[in-house]
Amino acid sequence: MQVSRAAGPPFAGPPGSGPAPSSAIRAPQGPPPGARPFPGSPPPPSQPSPPFARPGAPLQQQSPPQFGGPPPAMASQPQRPGFGGLPSGPPPQVQRAPFGGPPSGVSPQAPPFGGPPAAVASRSAPLSGPPAAASYQPAPPAAVPQRSPFGGPPAAASAQPPPIGGGPFTAAQAPPFGGPPGSVPQTAPTGGLRPFGGPSAPSQQVQFGAPPPFGGPSAVQPGAQPPPFGASQSQAPPFMGPAGGNVPPSFAPPMWQGQGAVPGGMQPSMRMPVMPGGMPPNALGQGMSHASTPTMPYSPHAQVSTPSKIDPNQIPRPVQETSVIIFETRQGGQAAIPPAASSEFIVKDTGNCNPRLMRCTMNQIPCTGDLLTTSGMPLALLVQPFALPHPSEEPIQLVDFGEMGPIRCSRCKAYINPFMKFIDQGKHFICNLCGFSNDTPREYFCHLGPDGRRRDADERPELCRGSVEFVATKEFLVRDPMPAVYFFLIDVSMNAVNTGATAAACSAISQALSDLPEGPRTMVGIGTFDSAIHFYSLRRAQQQPLMLIVPDIQDVYTPLQTDLILPISECHENLEQLLESIPVMFENNRIADSAFGAAMKASFLAMKSTGGKLLVFQSVLPSVGIGSLSAREAEGRSNTSTGDKEAHKLLQPVDKTLKTMAQEFAEYQVCVDVFLSTQSYVDIASISVVPNTTGGRVYYYYPFSALSDPAKLYNDLRWNISRPQGFEAVMRVRCSQGLQVQDYFGNFCKRVPTDIDLPVIDSDKAIMVTFKHDDKLQENSECAFQCALLYTTVFGQRRIRVINLSLSCTNMLSSLFRYADLETQFTYVVKQAANGIPSLPLSQVRDQVTSTCINILQSYRKYCASVSSSGQLILPEALKLLPLYTLALTKSVGLRNDGRLDDRSYWVSIVSSVSVLLAIPLVFPRMIALHDLTSRDDDDSLVPSPLTLNSENIHDDGIYLLENGEDGFIYVGNSVNPLTLEQIFGVSSLAGLPNQLVLEPFDNELSRKVNEVVNEIRRQRCSYLRLRLCKKGDPSGDFFRSLLVEDKAPGGLSYVEFLVHVHRQIQSKMT
Amino acid sequence: MSAADPSAAAPAAAADPDGPDAVRLTWNAWPRSKVEASRCVVPLAATVSPARVPDRSTAAPPPLPYLPLRCKPPCSALLNPFARVDFAAKIWICPLCFSRNHFPPHYAAISESNVPAELFPQCSTVEYIVGGAPGAPGAAGAPPPPVFLFVIDTCVIEEELEYVKMAMRKAVALLPEHALVGLVTFGTQVHLHELGFSDLSKIYVFRGTKEISKEQILDQLGLTGAGRSGFPKIPQQPGGPQVNGMHPAATAGVNRFLLPVSECECTLSTLLDELQSDQWPVEAGNRAMRCTGVALSVAAGLLGACMPGTGARIIALLGGPCTEGPGMIVSKDLSEPVRSHKDLDKDAAPHFQKAVKFYDGLAKQLVSQGHVLDVFASALDQVGLAEMKVAIERTGGLVVLSESFGHSVFKDSFKRIFEGGEQSLGLSFNGTIEINCSKDIKVQGIIGPCTSLEKKGAVCADTVVGQGNTTAWKMCGLDRNTSLTVFFDVSPSERSSQPGHQNPHLYIQFVTSYQHPEGQMRIRVTTICRKWVDGSTNTEELVEGFDQETAAVVLARYISLKMEMEEEFDATRWLDRSLIRLCSRFGDYRKDDPSSFSLHSNFSLFPQFMFNLRRSQFVQVFNNSPDETAYFRMLLNRESVTNSVAMIQPSLISFSFDSPPSPVFLDVASIAADRILLLDAYFSVVIFHGMTIAQWRNMGYQNQPEHEQFAQLLQSPHEEAQMIIKGRFPVPRLVVCDQHGSQARFLLAKLNPSATYNSAHDVAPGSDIIFTDDVSFQVFCEHLQRLAVQS
Repeated sequence: MQVSRAAGPPFAGPPGSGPAPSSAIRAPQGPPPGARPFPGSPPPPSQPSPPFARPGAPLQQQSPPQFGGPPPAMASQPQRPGFGGLPSGPPPQVQRAPFGGPPSGVSPQAPPFGGPPAAVASRSAPLSGPPAAASYQPAPPAAVPQRSPFGGPPAAASAQPPPIGGGPFTAAQAPPFGGPPGSVPQTAPTGGLRPFGGPSAPSQQVQFGAPPPFGGPSAVQPGAQPPPFGASQSQAPPFMGPAGGNVPPSFAPPMWQGQGAVPGGMQPSMRMPVMPGGMPPNALGQGMSHASTPTMPYSPHAQVSTPSKIDPNQIPRPVQETSVIIFETRQGGQAAIPPAASSEFIVKDTGNCNPRLMRCTMNQIPCTGDLLTTSGMPLALLVQPFALPHPSEEPIQLVDFGEMGPIRCSRCKAYINPFMKFIDQGKHFICNLCGFSNDTPREYFCHLGPDGRRRDADERPELCRGSVEFVATKEFLVRDPMPAVYFFLIDVSMNAVNTGATAAACSAISQALSDLPEGPRTMVGIGTFDSAIHFYSLRRAQQQPLMLIVPDIQDVYTPLQTDLILPISECHENLEQLLESIPVMFENNRIADSAFGAAMKASFLAMKSTGGKLLVFQSVLPSVGIGSLSAREAEGRSNTSTGDKEAHKLLQPVDKTLKTMAQEFAEYQVCVDVFLSTQSYVDIASISVVPNTTGGRVYYYYPFSALSDPAKLYNDLRWNISRPQGFEAVMRVRCSQGLQVQDYFGNFCKRVPTDIDLPVIDSDKAIMVTFKHDDKLQENSECAFQCALLYTTVFGQRRIRVINLSLSCTNMLSSLFRYADLETQFTYVVKQAANGIPSLPLSQVRDQVTSTCINILQSYRKYCASVSSSGQLILPEALKLLPLYTLALTKSVGLRNDGRLDDRSYWVSIVSSVSVLLAIPLVFPRMIALHDLTSRDDDDSLVPSPLTLNSENIHDDGIYLLENGEDGFIYVGNSVNPLTLEQIFGVSSLAGLPNQLVLEPFDNELSRKVNEVVNEIRRQRCSYLRLRLCKKGDPSGDFFRSLLVEDKAPGGLSYVEFLVHVHRQIQSKMT
Repeated sequence: MSAADPSAAAPAAAADPDGPDAVRLTWNAWPRSKVEASRCVVPLAATVSPARVPDRSTAAPPPLPYLPLRCKPPCSALLNPFARVDFAAKIWICPLCFSRNHFPPHYAAISESNVPAELFPQCSTVEYIVGGAPGAPGAAGAPPPPVFLFVIDTCVIEEELEYVKMAMRKAVALLPEHALVGLVTFGTQVHLHELGFSDLSKIYVFRGTKEISKEQILDQLGLTGAGRSGFPKIPQQPGGPQVNGMHPAATAGVNRFLLPVSECECTLSTLLDELQSDQWPVEAGNRAMRCTGVALSVAAGLLGACMPGTGARIIALLGGPCTEGPGMIVSKDLSEPVRSHKDLDKDAAPHFQKAVKFYDGLAKQLVSQGHVLDVFASALDQVGLAEMKVAIERTGGLVVLSESFGHSVFKDSFKRIFEGGEQSLGLSFNGTIEINCSKDIKVQGIIGPCTSLEKKGAVCADTVVGQGNTTAWKMCGLDRNTSLTVFFDVSPSERSSQPGHQNPHLYIQFVTSYQHPEGQMRIRVTTICRKWVDGSTNTEELVEGFDQETAAVVLARYISLKMEMEEEFDATRWLDRSLIRLCSRFGDYRKDDPSSFSLHSNFSLFPQFMFNLRRSQFVQVFNNSPDETAYFRMLLNRESVTNSVAMIQPSLISFSFDSPPSPVFLDVASIAADRILLLDAYFSVVIFHGMTIAQWRNMGYQNQPEHEQFAQLLQSPHEEAQMIIKGRFPVPRLVVCDQHGSQARFLLAKLNPSATYNSAHDVAPGSDIIFTDDVSFQVFCEHLQRLAVQS
């Protein structure tokens, strides 16, 4: 049977549970919202106007030409003066050049941002996009933003797939395997049926599907579609593709809420439209009586003897989600089940936090530790406190309690939140975390309404919103909030200069300077190093900057107390000049040594008084000075006898030097990001300790290409400094009594058991918090989690971001499975695996990963599946992709046997802070075909549906892109039509393909599409993919094929084989 | 007895008291035995100025463009006019060891009518050019350029820094084009400026708190193995870092940090323009962090790498005390005062010994490299000269102490070292002095700006004074004025005391080789011949040969050394006893009859010298800071006898309508209302207007044509003072004051307090009194007479 991906009712499984690649979440291109009402969905809302601001987004959309395209920036620079009629006053930065005729959608909104509050104005200005954008104006909706246009088919949240195509599945559609357990014959499915259509157990459909709680709103949304421009919240990732790296960015820096100088400066038009009344409350929690159990109906015997009987087309695979979901975090007094992290959704905060900010591995909390243990599942939160909101979401509101400071529980110091219960006419309130009864401060007193809530509850964000920010009072300040300090440190040793890495770094910094937050509190400094450390003092009215060399790299110091780090406004020009001259100045440098550790330390000393971001551009193995490293890799290779057993030792930091240094950095609020543009082993295992401890990350460009990498370097840097972030942060997660925080995982420094210190926390960083029971929770009560993050905005305001999540408690194992959050759980597994890599042999880590999967499935099989299904591999609906993901994980760069040490260390280092959204693609990449982009039917999304990751989908005449959020591998078959080659790459033959790929836009439809797609993916991933060309027959082609996780590989099973393996393991455990 | 008439000494001083040899001895006739020598009280010593340029009036022979002849070892004395020459046999007999030496073949033409210059009797001092000059025999290429490495303190207020910059600009303009220049600035940290880097101002920064070895400095500068061509390369240390340079080919080593003035004038002037006061914040209640020690280490290390063996000077401009790192003399906490003499006495100066040790090490390094440390200290506070003394003195460096970089003492002195021509200091480098002498004479050591080369030989005496136990001394820097005091001992050997063989003459030969300011290496030979005095009774001859000025200076230097070296040394008592012994031995008197006492004219000034020495800054150190004392002593030790005498006993000249300018007694009684007095105390020159003169001047009579004479009277002491100032380095402080003015203390402090408030009643009108309890010279002499004649 074939269920074509494109045709017919879309795979009707509970889409939410799949890791629907976000490509699915594309706005409808053409028809305005409302044009595609779904059967059974509520009528479109009455508001005709576009409720959802998708401000800047479309404009950003318009910039694609620059994305990796020709450097329009060149042109745009001269434009600066030329464009007179800016809507906004601020001096345009290159790409901010206003254009004369803003799209209709833009003009009304632009002024608000163009207006005074300087910070906002300047930031929003870019949203107006470059002139090129004008071409898109006619169809603004088409240009709907990157992330999640509304109006897609209603993506059902979580487990409730709206009955697309009208109601429940018809019998014909119902996959035979999806039927009630055991009801399906074990024979191969007949044609037209999808035996593995994992989703859609009819019973489940019935149970949950009936009231489409989320489907409704989502269906509505499209109607409310027209994007209001000018909303400042667009998180537009600044990934813009200046080819060659010298192209100025065409993307505006993200405008993010809450940090702006004008908090809450939201457009009314952006507000969530009022949900049509009568929405049925979330049906979650209703009868689990017929636990849905998608099953895999084949017998073990069949499996063993003829595994081929499993139809590879029918096994569970992620489903592409194409619609936008509107998600209310709480409905009917209960937590709603959040949509899959990878789906596109718009959140309305009704008491619980936006799941982007914080989500739990399970949406109901087991009452006892035993129950949790039985389930085999982890209990953990993934917190991403600065996660980019959907452009249409309301920003987090800022609450200022003045002198009094935020109301807190006097016992556990938890912050006031919607779940604190006011009693006694409001005179007291009971802390939902510790149960303590507090007196209500007089200033905060308010009478209770008839419903027992405070009368002002709906007016006070802290009483009705899951996430809120408080202005910090003096008691939260140990010193004045720090300025935004950026110190750039560049390797200028011989190799760095010769490979072009130095020039690339200088150019990237130079361009990125204009993306630094504006204002008097933004400070910059710069240093270079080889076997000595060079600082530059730029406060010079006189001719030249001063270069100060610190030659003692064993015991470093800062050469000046002041003048090394200056307000950007005072030194911008000097800095640009200096950056221009650095590559020339060191052109003939013959010093091969690089004092990375010492240079960091010295820079740290220069920043010590304020803290800030230290961005290090390193190109070779640090060979001298403090924290110097040796080529352990070579040593590891040479004595292979011990090599295998102790191989993982090489993935541990070589010693404690850098760790100690990093802890000191963290203590003084210095965050280190390391950009490694190298062509050799640099011992990332040791180096990564520093960024990982200080809230930064490693960027890795290997092998560095002066041709193709500068653009990525620049975009990475730009995003690094312009994304939403906070400084000198301290975070603590509190939870209800009965649970306790077990541990924190992520990039931070922990000095006391309860808090973690984050010199910088940005929108890409996630922190995992694990919990354990220390008592029982009451069934039917709620278990609360509160994450409090005290931080300083880039504009120097001290705030506390409080994120609340309150979930029901349950004693039912089946509920745990039903409300399991696959992606979050799997992210947990990935992080645990990464954690284990440096300390265990790889095979052991892989075994652990596999057994985690098996244990969960076995628990489900044992306790939740009906007896009759004993012969089948039964997968809980919510976790049906767990085996696939697990398989992918064992084949990932981090866990595969072959592969360079640095690659593995790098993988480990990025996993440590990766968010749920990006963790899945990292191990389970997305593959799309590029060659037929023009010919394929125009479905709703810009990015075509992903192909299954097996080699059957790879044809010799095709060109494919496989991306994991970090890298993009473009595979070119052997017999590709030369015309296609010409169109995409500008070369006429395979032989003419360059090894170092720079994807340039050419003047043809296909090239445009390819660039659009790539740019779209870049936006989705907040990452400028590192594109690499893979050719069949080449090692690069072999590598590409090794990423096809469903294939059988030398070191791993095929997907089908793996399922068989898992099933067999469960069987043997059961008996 | 009364003080000898000062006017008697004046004409002698006007001529060249040092003679063409620039050697003066305390005794020009020497007793033959140790016992007799000790009975002379004043040690047998010579002061020698090895690089002195004789007055133009003296017809000095031009330097000889060939190598000198040497006696056979171990004597190795150079051929000199006192040698006996057998022209027929072509043999010369060394007057010191009596060895016979054959003339080499190129002296074949020698005959009675054709003698080489070094045998001319008037050529007791002769110079040979032995290399360096173009075309000269043995010349190895062009002479090395002079090297100046400036070390500038930036922990000073803006105003002071401006003065420094001004002085520096002048200095740079005065430097010869080919001179190599380097620049180190320091405050909390040390900045070594790479002048050969044109892209931007490039500075190596060294931390001020950490003692850093020469090797580390070289490693960190990437100078290891980057020797200059023509100089021995330092072997590359295995495993050391590579050359640290951006354009290694172009800027390796010396060219990066030391550049000819012609190439870096622009860079330097930019640098000076942009030079700022130290940017490190100074907390309230604290001194600025100043790392003088490390700065000097770095400078020394740099020179050691680039210029070993070539003459080079480190010129340090210091504006305050070293407060961190090695060489620290006081903590940064202002509540801790800088050490005083009292602290040093009580051992309550916690940093002193450590700092001295550090500078001692620095001195050793500099000496081994042949480099000079000059210090220009300009601060109201002490800068640590007392600790640095060892490094300055051992290397033969110059030192100037003033209150401010804006003060003329600094400004004019600083300029002087770069000036050429007539007034040039004749700064020479890399000197070595060897002393050869007749068999019975031993050398105890030298006081003065030099370092022992630890070359032991037969002439070394058992007792050591100053830099001893050697026959050769290093003088990294020397100039025309540099003067050394050599202490001798007489130790007759068996053979020489044989009657009949006794040579009535003694010979001492000073052989100095040095790098002349023009670049060539020269050898200067001075051979002197003096008489032996036989027997113990013959005091007449001894008295005839006594040089009281030299004796006073030698004693001053000797006790200064003793005061530094010996704890609890009572200088006053020691001086008094010496003087009494001397007077007992050489005075004419009847026992126990003070009134019968008289002294030979060769001794007549000596008691007065001693009286003033007792009261001088050299003995009464508690009136000064340790820095000042160190400064005074360093100058005392390196100046000529004439100048040193002025330090001990200033000269006083009176100007009045009545008489031509004439020396007057250094006595308060010399003050008169209608006189102008000019005091030359070496470190300061005071013009003192009597009350009446001052009044007239204030009324402006000098501006009236009819009182032109008065204007001239006013003018002439100034002219005289300028004469003194012009010829002196360091430039003395000029004080112009009026009677009863506050500045008058500069004069009064030096005067004999013959009239004090105790004797105010018999003061002549117009004269003055001194508020002191010190005894007057009169009283001093009475006591001396009484004690000298005691049996």
